[in-house]
Amino acid sequence: MTMGRLSNDEFFTKLTELFDAKKGKDHGSIVLVQKRLSHDQPLPETTSSTMLPDLHPPRPMLVLIRATNAKGKERRQDKIKLSTIVEPDSLPAFFERYADVCKAGMTTLKPRDRSKRKGKAKKKKGAATTSAP
Amino acid sequence: MPYYATSQEWLHQSSLLLEARPNTTRITTKYHISKPKPRRPSQKPTTSSSADASALPPPRGSLTLKTYDPHSGACLKYRTTKAAEVSRLILSLGRPLGGRMAALPPPEAADEVMADVLAGGEETVTKKGGEEVVVASSGGKPQAQGQGPQQQQGGGGGKGKKKRGKK
Repeated sequence: MTMGRLSNDEFFTKLTELFDAKKGKDHGSIVLVQKRLSHDQPLPETTSSTMLPDLHPPRPMLVLIRATNAKGKERRQDKIKLSTIVEPDSLPAFFERYADVCKAGMTTLKPRDRSKRKGKAKKKKGAATTSAP
Repeated sequence: MPYYATSQEWLHQSSLLLEARPNTTRITTKYHISKPKPRRPSQKPTTSSSADASALPPPRGSLTLKTYDPHSGACLKYRTTKAAEVSRLILSLGRPLGGRMAALPPPEAADEVMADVLAGGEETVTKKGGEEVVVASSGGKPQAQGQGPQQQQGGGGGKGKKKRGKK
C-alpha cells in the first residue's frame, strides 16, 4: 500500500510521529532512503556529444525521500511508508530540519558525555577482572 | 561489502559513487534499536530476577548509512552508535550528497575544503587500522561486580570517590 507523496511539512510531522512511536520500545528500526527522482523525468537523447546524459542533466533534479518503520511481510498491516519530494532549491533547508528531527528521534544512541565515562569505567573493570589471577 | 572506519571515508567514497552513477545510487539510513543483552549472566547467578530486570541496560541504538548502486552493485556502509554524529551525518546527506543527487553544481570552495579533510582522513585510516582505542588502566581497584556503570555515575559523590581512590 502506498500513500501519496507528502509535502515536506507533512513528511516531517509524520516522521516525528514515526520516531515518537519507537520511543520507549526496546527494538525496532526506522529506514530512511534518499535518491534522485529519475522516474518520469525526461532526459535528452543520448548523442555523441552527450554520451551519458544522466551525468549532466540540463537542470537540477528532484530528490525523493522515503521513510518506513521497516515492518516485514508478516506485519504488512502495521507498515508505515512515507515519501516526499524535495525541490533542489529547498535542499539545505530540508536537511537542516531533517537532521533536527533525526537527532531528536534517535534517542537510544550513546550520548557524548556518558559514553566516555561509561567506556572508561567498563574498561577498567574488564582489565581488573582479567588481570586478577 | 565494506564498513568504513570513519565517516569521512564513507562520505568520500559515497560522493564518488554518486558522481559516477547519480541516477541509480540511493542512500539508506537505518536507525535500529536492538534489545539489550543481560550483562554477564554467568557471573552473578545469585541476584534475584527482579533486581536483574530493573538493572537491565537501556536499549542500544545504532545508525547505519548505506550507499548502494544497483547497477554496479557497489555498496558502501558506515555504522555508528554515537548520538553526537547524527546531526553531522544527516547534514552530509544533504550536502554534498543530496546536492549531487539533485545535480546542483558543487561549490568550489567547499570542494577544496572537503578534499583536504578527506586526504587527512585517509591517512589516519590506513595508519590506525582498527577503531578501538585502548585506554591503559593503572591498576584500577576491582569494584563490586553488582554495581552497574549507571550507579557509578549516579551522583557527584561517586565521582569524588573515584578520584580519591586513584590517588
